[in-house]
Amino acid sequence: MSDYIIEMNHITKRFPGIVANDDVSIQVKKGEIYALLGENGAGKSTLMSMLFGMYEPDEGEIIIRGDKVKIQSPNHATKLNIGMVHQHFKLVSNYTIAENIIMGMEPVKKTLGLFKSVDLKKANEDILALSRKFGLEVDPTKVIEQVNVSMQQRVEILKMLYREAEILIFDEPTAVLTPQEIEFLLEIIRSLRDDGKTIILITHKLEEIKKIADRCAILCRGRLIDVLDVASTDTKTMANLMVGREVSFTVDKPAPKYGKEVLRVEHLTVRNEDKYEVVKDVSFSVREGEIFVVAGVSGNGQIELADAIAGLIKPSGGTVTLNGADITSYSIRKRNLAGISYIPEDRHNVGLVMDFTLADNLALKNYFEEPFSRKGVIHNEEFTSYGDKLIDKFDIRSSQGNDTIVRSMSGGNQQKAIIAREIELGSSLTIFVQPTRGLDIGAIENIHKQIIGERSKGKAILLISLELDEVMNLADTIGVIYNGEIQKIADARELTPTQVGEFMMGVGGRHEKE
Amino acid sequence: MKKNKNGIIHKVILQTIGHEKRQHYMIPVFTILLSLIFGAIVIALLGSNPFKAYYNLLQGSGLAPKASYAGHKGIITDFTSFLNALTPMLFAALAVLIALKAGLFNIGVSGQMLAAGFTATVLIGYSTLPAIVAKPLVVLIGFVIGALAGAVVGFLKHRFNINEVVSTIMFNYIFQYVVSFLINTFYVDPVSRQSKNVGASGRLTLVDVVIGDYKMDIPLGILLAAVGIAVTAFIMNKTILGFEIKAVGSSMRAAEYAGIQVGRTRVLAMMLSGGFAGLAGVTYYMGYFASIQPKVLVSTGYDAIAVALLGNSSPIGIIFSSFLITVISKGSTYMNSASGVQAEIASAITGIILLFSACGAYVKYKVNRWKEDN
Amino acid sequence: MNTIIIDGLSFALPLFIMAIGGIYCERSGITNLAIEGLQGFGAFCGALFAVCIAQYFAGNSPIPFYLAMLFAFLGGMLFSLLHAMLCIKFKANQVISGVVINILAMALTEFMTKQINASIFGAASNKFVLGVSARITVPVLSQIPVLGAVFTNLYPFEIVIAVIAVIAWYVLYKTRFGLHLRACGDNPHAVDAAGIEVSRVRLIAVMASGALSGLGGICFAYSISANFSSNIYSGYGYLAIAALIFGNWKIMPTLGACLLFGFARSGGYELVKILEMPSSYQDLVMVLPYVLTLLMLIFFSKKNHSPKALGEIYDKGAR
Repeated sequence: MSDYIIEMNHITKRFPGIVANDDVSIQVKKGEIYALLGENGAGKSTLMSMLFGMYEPDEGEIIIRGDKVKIQSPNHATKLNIGMVHQHFKLVSNYTIAENIIMGMEPVKKTLGLFKSVDLKKANEDILALSRKFGLEVDPTKVIEQVNVSMQQRVEILKMLYREAEILIFDEPTAVLTPQEIEFLLEIIRSLRDDGKTIILITHKLEEIKKIADRCAILCRGRLIDVLDVASTDTKTMANLMVGREVSFTVDKPAPKYGKEVLRVEHLTVRNEDKYEVVKDVSFSVREGEIFVVAGVSGNGQIELADAIAGLIKPSGGTVTLNGADITSYSIRKRNLAGISYIPEDRHNVGLVMDFTLADNLALKNYFEEPFSRKGVIHNEEFTSYGDKLIDKFDIRSSQGNDTIVRSMSGGNQQKAIIAREIELGSSLTIFVQPTRGLDIGAIENIHKQIIGERSKGKAILLISLELDEVMNLADTIGVIYNGEIQKIADARELTPTQVGEFMMGVGGRHEKE
Repeated sequence: MKKNKNGIIHKVILQTIGHEKRQHYMIPVFTILLSLIFGAIVIALLGSNPFKAYYNLLQGSGLAPKASYAGHKGIITDFTSFLNALTPMLFAALAVLIALKAGLFNIGVSGQMLAAGFTATVLIGYSTLPAIVAKPLVVLIGFVIGALAGAVVGFLKHRFNINEVVSTIMFNYIFQYVVSFLINTFYVDPVSRQSKNVGASGRLTLVDVVIGDYKMDIPLGILLAAVGIAVTAFIMNKTILGFEIKAVGSSMRAAEYAGIQVGRTRVLAMMLSGGFAGLAGVTYYMGYFASIQPKVLVSTGYDAIAVALLGNSSPIGIIFSSFLITVISKGSTYMNSASGVQAEIASAITGIILLFSACGAYVKYKVNRWKEDN
Repeated sequence: MNTIIIDGLSFALPLFIMAIGGIYCERSGITNLAIEGLQGFGAFCGALFAVCIAQYFAGNSPIPFYLAMLFAFLGGMLFSLLHAMLCIKFKANQVISGVVINILAMALTEFMTKQINASIFGAASNKFVLGVSARITVPVLSQIPVLGAVFTNLYPFEIVIAVIAVIAWYVLYKTRFGLHLRACGDNPHAVDAAGIEVSRVRLIAVMASGALSGLGGICFAYSISANFSSNIYSGYGYLAIAALIFGNWKIMPTLGACLLFGFARSGGYELVKILEMPSSYQDLVMVLPYVLTLLMLIFFSKKNHSPKALGEIYDKGAR
């Protein structure tokens, strides 16, 4: 009998064309916070999915509390008191919090001693009690659609606790949270550990590990690189191990040289489908050679703001001016031609036609112009030569070059393709929405360089970012958005990360007033 | 299906349909063979010789010689008659295909056929215009009415977000009953209980043309269908419109983002689709037949969905799949008289082919998995 | 007025039970365009069984009818397994699967009806003759003014349908299974993570849909057409789909839609009769439900929300 609660020995898992885990072994002690660190595609999530019974390992063994087990399903994992909060929450959007938590383990009552039905009243009471016990207050009767991301995460945590999980796996839990919410979450995780729970934290954020983890396993390309004691290791060492080379944390950025105003947004108001105002009376402007960053927590209207500027949704009020011309009533096509490039948030559903070839996608914004087509007839050879040019210039890697179906390309290269297409248009304004989301450090570095490069060419850049680091590293000017309203616009050098974080929570500037 | 993972069959399957470049036509061929074998077993169980029955299908379609022919008949007359039946199927399949490319399911081809066929019948078929004017007018009216019917569906989808599957089904019934009412009230032939026959000048098939010793029906529409296929292939592969239709069909949001007017493109695609359905209608009701049976919606529109699917949604593929399905349906009457197999089994076999072809994506997925395992 | 209510109900209720089946299927996330084929195949099975056993019962015995209902129920369920297999196991496009099943059902039943009539009953016929089910009138309740018509001249199947509908409502909205089913149509990943097998829930939902469609089909065969023939494929299934979309995938509003269709139809027929129009005008009446649906969709489809995961192929592996 060992003193480990979890042992995963010599685990290997292959997927078509890739070895996701290659002879990985980890041992986790009861009551510790164990971090799994690695870039995207390093195999962290795969490893934990096997612990949670979503896949079975091709080779290797899993030992839980000294017993060798074959975890066949999430159900089985639950029985072994293992719980997992997935990166993408698994919640039913039109159900209440209580219904979501109890699903699969519903309390049942009998009406007239005969008809079994779900006892929602008891469920609500149980969950209220449970949430109070762990300091995770929720209103069990609220519908998931109507609560924010942080609350949804609480529901996921309560789901595990409701199932009496002892081993809690968190997959990138902080990716969608504000700095303050992250603090709160880390506090919760710590107190769960103090309650005797064992925690496994999947992340690529070094500070979090430094803050709360006891030990940390580093994965790189499916292999276990090292297991470190967090207290005695510095973040720089961890980062180098994770990436497999030296990384620089800061971006080289020359001093700004602003030119004339390119974009002016005045009193812009946007309503969503339910007629609810998601962008409220927003005004700002962006100049040549300026990176204007709209910082904010996910879901505060920044996507709608970008969409409204690019023409994907119609604003209900206000104006958008580009290079002096009022483009508020322009169609999307007309705005593109007038000089807007747009790298959207959702690269799969919006930025690319996934079933088209790379060449077709690279020409997606100019296929209708000469030389790509004349009088309505398309000239395929122009697509090919244009594609070759961009593939070469932006180092887009794919299996079959121009003819590759974009769906089969890696996320990083898909994003490269979008950025290549948009930059090559030579527009005076380029809008980037979370351009580095879900990419690994190497790809992030590359994209940051591209953005700075555009700035040096005198282009106006509007960047929408959720990552505080990215905001602080790239911004010339920061506009913080909260609940659809711009809270603060200031030169980036005048704001500290903490201040930006406070504005993102809608509580910024209070100290100044007092 | 196909459990024997290491057997010879497994190897043969891998050899034949494992090759990625060939998959797009090998998988349909494979599913068709499977269905034909299945049909053969059923025919054998019913006590008939399946090989003979299948040969009868070819004979009935003028692709193989019959033992004997009636006066003025021959294999060539059977074949032109087969082409006569093939024409509407080709158009209908094109209609389904174009909509499919735009990401829309045009289940209303049959209704659009009826609307166009009926309008052309009433306006031109019962007129006394000379053939040289009447025939082009029939084609024109067929296309325009079909296109209008399609455009409405596209518009409802674009403007009111009404699922095209639902609206086309609704229109199918509306056309069916309205046309039935109009025929019964104004245009009914008291003997046949169908609409009165159209005149020869408006009809797109030349009936009983004497060539040499034969009297045959010559479908002019087949030439038009050939042009239709070529035009569709050109539009889809070589024009901006085709590019936009495909973009909208693959990803509506990406297309919109790229500056394509999604609504306009969809309406245009549905217009083209409906237009071809209209041509199917006039070549059916004023070519293959000369009258309309009230309260009946022909199955061509539904079969065409299968034909388009089987033809791998490519204009060239459609030629082959239309051919196959028409052979089965057209030859079934002769099969019934020669082998005594119920003619209805033809549509059952068609149904089975469809069933298997709907599994095509799964077969492809499985085969590729096997390939990776090996 | 009474005729309108009586005929309207006898048309609306079979439609309603089919639509409930459709709601089960679609709320679990599987598009169901196959209702038309399922009801036809179910009706075929029921009718076949009824004509096979008819000789053992007296002409006015209701037992063959109830057995036919049972077999239609089972037959529809059996045939729906095809849809389940295509959509769940083979991950085929659900719309295509539905269309294929309709074509196949029509072809198969037509072929088999003819073949069976020829080889077993020795008759060249393309239909199974069933006759019209007897009607009953509930005492006392039928005396209520106006509403009494609801309890007058009822087909027995209307009562069966009403009972099943109540059970179906209870199961869908009150039980654990119902909770799981509705969740499958919104986010199957959540259901999976809760340790519930999504494909099992969906399989049952599709089977329920098949069974209820079959039941609806045999009711039409025993009322409107009085036989089984290819006439059964006259669009009841599609109308049921229209009703459930109209009812926003919820049982009570769908009942409303079905009643509307039923009364529009019976009202129209009544009008033709009262105005002494020729019978061909009935065709115009038949258009009413479809036109109504389109018009209503124009007004309501913006507010309609189909189940979120409807038509999406659920792949456990994909995250």
